[in-house]
Amino acid sequence: MAAGLLEVGVAIAVLALAGLIALRVGLSVIPAYIVAGILVGPNPPTSVAGVSLQIVPTGEFVEIAAEIGIVLLLFFLGLEFSVGQLLSDWRRITAAGTVDFLINFGLGVALGIAFGRTPLEVAFIAGIVYISSSAIVTKSLIEQGWVANPEADSILGTLVYEDILIAVYLAVLTAVVGGAGEASAVAVDVARAFAVLGAIAAVAWYATEYVERAFDLPTDELFVLGVVGTTTLIAGAALATGVSEAVAAFFVGTAFSQTDHVEKIEDLVAPVRDFFAAVFFLSIGLATDVTLLADVALLLGVAVIATTLSKLVSGTISGRIYGLTPTRSLRTGIGLVPRGEFSLVIAALATGAGGTLAEVVPAFAVGYVLAMSVVGTVLIQEADSVTGALVPLFERS
Amino acid sequence: MTIYETEVPGVGHKFEMDLDGDERLVVIIHHDGKRDVYRRPDPDADSEQLFSLTGKQARQLGSILEGAYFQPVELDEVEVPLGDAIIEWYEVGESELTGQTLKEANLRERVGVSVIAIQRGDETIPNPRPETTIEAEDTVVTIGKRDEQQALSDLLGE
Repeated sequence: MAAGLLEVGVAIAVLALAGLIALRVGLSVIPAYIVAGILVGPNPPTSVAGVSLQIVPTGEFVEIAAEIGIVLLLFFLGLEFSVGQLLSDWRRITAAGTVDFLINFGLGVALGIAFGRTPLEVAFIAGIVYISSSAIVTKSLIEQGWVANPEADSILGTLVYEDILIAVYLAVLTAVVGGAGEASAVAVDVARAFAVLGAIAAVAWYATEYVERAFDLPTDELFVLGVVGTTTLIAGAALATGVSEAVAAFFVGTAFSQTDHVEKIEDLVAPVRDFFAAVFFLSIGLATDVTLLADVALLLGVAVIATTLSKLVSGTISGRIYGLTPTRSLRTGIGLVPRGEFSLVIAALATGAGGTLAEVVPAFAVGYVLAMSVVGTVLIQEADSVTGALVPLFERS
Repeated sequence: MTIYETEVPGVGHKFEMDLDGDERLVVIIHHDGKRDVYRRPDPDADSEQLFSLTGKQARQLGSILEGAYFQPVELDEVEVPLGDAIIEWYEVGESELTGQTLKEANLRERVGVSVIAIQRGDETIPNPRPETTIEAEDTVVTIGKRDEQQALSDLLGE
């Protein structure tokens, strides 16, 4: 018991310290949590100057808390998913989002094939490089003040499209990974997953009024317990039937998105999500064997450069679709460069799959997210010099 | 006036309001109640953050702006209600009243209003006598019903 408490205590203290350092340096907390996990985890480097660094073993608590972190991240994605916004602006969102998907996911597929990866690895790599980090992007938008500018529309519109796509993508991938391997068996699994998710989505859509009343709870404490309990329960039940727990949580979130409880959830449950998400990032770091990074180093290097450029290109096109000026269009691309939590959620799925998939994909994802969260944040901070240098070039041409 | 509202996922709501010309005021209301107020001088410019308020501060500022604490008096339209009657100020200027005494002008018979004071520069002549002359730079203060005041206004060519 004492050992378990110590493990949890050390893990949380390490997170707090890492977060503090990230804040001082002015970078996102996500890479800091992962690096902290790598440093204190059971994989090399295990010691510095003879002092053991294996202070946080991957215990049951960390594993389950990390899983709750994934569930709550996706729950909030569903919660903040605005059907109204999508419907009112669907033409531009679809156009910009499709450009973003084709260019970035397509590039991911090309990279995977070029580096001779298996089809399943290619599917994972493409997803990891495709999806921008809602957490880092929105935070940067506020810090830069872009949120009050027209480029916020194209950036957030693209994020909305990515959010739906990632739900579908995760649903398919979970079924494929959990499936038997035969093409026909995979098809059956995918169909079954969609049937279950369709049922959850239908309930979510029609249960708005019921959810509204059921969660009209007298105290904040009961409210938090009710929301987190329901979400975890449904996600857990989905996972038990072989369906993506993350996508189930996404739909539970959408059930709440039409109710008046949204603001209360943002207020009360967001800190709970941030806590568990931090443990999730730590656990990713804990599970990462940095020596495996050497195997994917070349792929990683190429992917970082190529997908930074591809987001700049796709974002610029999306900006033009929104009728923005060249500077604002380029900013759309710059704003979407950071990759983070969702790439790691995809990697976590690979970790669970076992085999070579569990080695190569997570190592790639961690290296990639570390690089892209930093590159993305720095690019956003230096956006004025970037647009200053690049915009005159394509204005001339 | 159009106010554009957009949802900002993970943040809250964004409201944009057109000001004079191309200038736009942007208000972000965060889920935690914080309000950020930005100003965008023209469509091509970047938004500058003006200030940030807590929910409580924002509500107080809002009611100040709404005029809950103080309503300014629009000086061109001063009206003091006295039953049916109102008090009005008129600049005489170069009109047919200029140079006449109050007795000659005979405003009470002609339009119905009573002159209760004359303002001449810094000086106020309260309750002016019938032989007081109305001069070009004077402001006459009259009491009368709305239609009577209108008649005087027409007479003065306003």
